[in-house]
Amino acid sequence: MTVSRALNVFDSFDRFVTGSKVREDTWDYVTIPTNAMNMKEKWNISFDNKIIPEDDDLSDRLFHAGLEMLAVTGFYNTNLGRALSISEEEILEGIKSAPKKIRLGRGKEMVSCKSRHGNSRRKPIIQGGPTGASVSEDMFSPMMQSYAQEATVDVLVSGVLNTVSGHPATTNTPWEIKATLAEIRYVREACCMVGRPGMGI
Amino acid sequence: MNMIAGWAQSDDIIMMEQMPIFGGYCGGVEETAICDVATMLASFALFECDIHLDGPIHIRWGTTTTTETLQIAAHAAAALDRNTDLLLANQYYTLAGPCTEMCLLETAAQAVTDTASGRELVSGVASSKGVVKDKTTGMEARMMGEAATVVAGMEVSEVNRILESIIDCYRDQYSKPPLGKRFQDCYDTKNIVPTEEYLNVYDKTLKTLNKCGLNI
Repeated sequence: MTVSRALNVFDSFDRFVTGSKVREDTWDYVTIPTNAMNMKEKWNISFDNKIIPEDDDLSDRLFHAGLEMLAVTGFYNTNLGRALSISEEEILEGIKSAPKKIRLGRGKEMVSCKSRHGNSRRKPIIQGGPTGASVSEDMFSPMMQSYAQEATVDVLVSGVLNTVSGHPATTNTPWEIKATLAEIRYVREACCMVGRPGMGI
Repeated sequence: MNMIAGWAQSDDIIMMEQMPIFGGYCGGVEETAICDVATMLASFALFECDIHLDGPIHIRWGTTTTTETLQIAAHAAAALDRNTDLLLANQYYTLAGPCTEMCLLETAAQAVTDTASGRELVSGVASSKGVVKDKTTGMEARMMGEAATVVAGMEVSEVNRILESIIDCYRDQYSKPPLGKRFQDCYDTKNIVPTEEYLNVYDKTLKTLNKCGLNI
């Protein structure tokens, strides 16, 4: 059936609020494994010993298995204890509205992240950084510089400050906010120190 | 969802992260890949995501670089790559720590996998599983970038052969991986340059990778 438009985050929230009540343990231990197993059987998904698939038909079947998995199962909101429903048509409409290209960074350091297909000759964007790992306060800026100065690195991903002004950056405290803002400043400083102030972060 | 609403209304670029656990609620490699595809689709269709950050993780080892988790990541990416133009990324969690050959080999294996399965962005590296303070450095990102650059455009069947050889070099060390060194112990932190020891480890790894067929 033709859909009116792609869902946005507000539509999704409304669907969660009116969605079906499900216990989290039922979702985790019954709904997900049962439906995943059913999709595996229905779409005949079986991997051989290859890491990267060489069978295009298998890749297509896996896509349809994942699409149907989402449409049949829905999506669970742990805070509300409810699951929303979404149709295959709505999923496909959502995909259509997603970007095929985004620009990251500014000035000389701006890079374009465009859709690749297969093993394109165009390499992926290289995002360097601790990827959320814990970093000491006094090492934060030097460590981020070690990524920013690498020729192959296009954009940066931050680490997590272990402390800020000597205080633990505990979740749900004011120190967490201070630490988050300090991280951004340190990363920007690192970019400037290596002469790449416009790097995407 | 409140934060997503703020970003979406401000026209910010939204990267949505999700890491399916192999051996967890989903089950085996195929079931986990099915759930991975479903969740990636949900990120775009329900939450206005612009680029998705994946990271299939092994329930026993806590890393993204095992045979199973690489296979899940590659199959899920290839499935979406063939059927959509969505922007897909993957993140890196190695068992071994910085300044070790195993850490660099794990990184190279995943960079090769992600690039050849059509991903648009690679993000890393959280060495030592990302759980040890200060055990991450720029040299691992150098390996991620160089391996991705070299393998781009190569025939997938050839890439699979290379991958098997690389993984064979480190799969026996899962239960006792080298711990490696902290950033301040393998870099001159004033001039921000890796130590000679780390450069030697890097060179040794390049020789190993060359023997596997990856000529960086």
